[in-house]
Amino acid sequence: MNAPTPLLEVTDAGLKIENRWLWRQLDLRLSPGCFLAVTGPSGAGKTSLLRCLAGQIPLSEGTITGKETSIAMIHQDLQLADGATSLMNALGGCLRRHSFWSTFLSFPTKERTEARRLLEQFGLSGKENQWASTLSRGERQRLAICRTLLARPHILLADEPVASLDSTWGDRVLGHLKETSQDRNGCIICSLHDESQVTRFADFRLHLDESTPEGWKLQSVRKDKTS
Amino acid sequence: MNQRVPWHSRFDLLGVTFLLFIAAALGSLPGIEGSGRHLDHWGNLVRFASQFFPPDWSILDRTFVGLLETMQIALVSTFWAIFISIFLSLGASRNISPAWILWPTRMVLNVIRTIPSLLWALLAVVIVGSNSLAGVIALTLYSVGYLAKFFSEAFESADLQAQQALRSLGASPLQAFRHGLWPNARPVIWSHCLWMLEYNFRSASIIGYVGAGGIGLHLKLYAESADSWNKFSLVLLCILVIVTTLDFIGEKIRQSLRAKLEGKSKK
Repeated sequence: MNAPTPLLEVTDAGLKIENRWLWRQLDLRLSPGCFLAVTGPSGAGKTSLLRCLAGQIPLSEGTITGKETSIAMIHQDLQLADGATSLMNALGGCLRRHSFWSTFLSFPTKERTEARRLLEQFGLSGKENQWASTLSRGERQRLAICRTLLARPHILLADEPVASLDSTWGDRVLGHLKETSQDRNGCIICSLHDESQVTRFADFRLHLDESTPEGWKLQSVRKDKTS
Repeated sequence: MNQRVPWHSRFDLLGVTFLLFIAAALGSLPGIEGSGRHLDHWGNLVRFASQFFPPDWSILDRTFVGLLETMQIALVSTFWAIFISIFLSLGASRNISPAWILWPTRMVLNVIRTIPSLLWALLAVVIVGSNSLAGVIALTLYSVGYLAKFFSEAFESADLQAQQALRSLGASPLQAFRHGLWPNARPVIWSHCLWMLEYNFRSASIIGYVGAGGIGLHLKLYAESADSWNKFSLVLLCILVIVTTLDFIGEKIRQSLRAKLEGKSKK
């Protein structure tokens, strides 16, 4: 990942939780347009790494530096407002761009149009006025993705974003995330379990080792030309 | 392997408090005294109850006017109580306010709840005179004590994750509250509001006794004139119909909200 101006640079980073190092001496440089897949067994620290990059957990050692840019995360547990409609949940992504009063009762038409377009792309048209609590797990996952995309982040962190989706929707979502990120000249760091999705979508793979904190491996993903 | 368990291990907190309650109730019996005279209790009851029947339907028009005023008092006081309680409940919520706002607000709410609605009505009548405005003031203050507490509990027990997710996406604390926490607490809050409306209608029916407007004044007049218990019973019958209707509608709405929040209904 040699690029002149990285969006995010992680140097000699380590995270220790309850006297156990999850990973140490981690070095990463994330360039614009890059898709990094984070893989590894459960408990290896994939979610913790994403949360560190999002600034939600402080590193135990090392540094994270980057350009002044926007970061947004798709959480594994989705974190939707169950008592709000799908449309209002999706519009939560654009709050950063508006004042409290301009979003108190309604949202600007431009944002509503974009939110509706995203919901339609992710198969949620016709469910805009349905409470999030009444959606299926897969629909909720796609809704959480719409909300994060509406935030228009440069660095998109995604914690198993397709875990509840079938392979068709999973591929569509990953393809959409990649395309959007490249259009914005941003990058994606995404934890994935499906080997074929890693091969098809990721440019690089960071494999975390559960047994050895320093045993992580960063590899370029060789693209299968037939896929 | 037939090990005997110690006898006291059967008494958990629930068992101990239940036994204490029974003992305290039995211990209170000697403090309850009758008149000491020999009275025909059953005969008295039958004679008195028979005066309630049949209800006097000739006062139906007058009763409707009183009930309408009672409903107006209940609606306006519940509206103002909801409005005031939303602000006070923010101050009384542990997950929203710092301790220096939290404890004074909770203390104010405790004081408000200590005063019964009839006493609030008396105070209001002294201040604004004997009219329905006194009823609105009394029930608004009384309801605020309960609603603000219920609302703050709704905010404290609501799922905070959506609020945190919006903060991480760059929303301000107020925006995250409005679009993350409020939607999750809103169904519970609305359910409490409906309950308070029912409660306020019942309260508004009685505060007229001290001059704070509504059907209570009719009840007082009929109770004071010895031969009007059949008019009194008609008023009670009308109150019963309205309270039952409100309770039925409120329960249906609450059920629907619960089903929606639990994902069992899409309507």
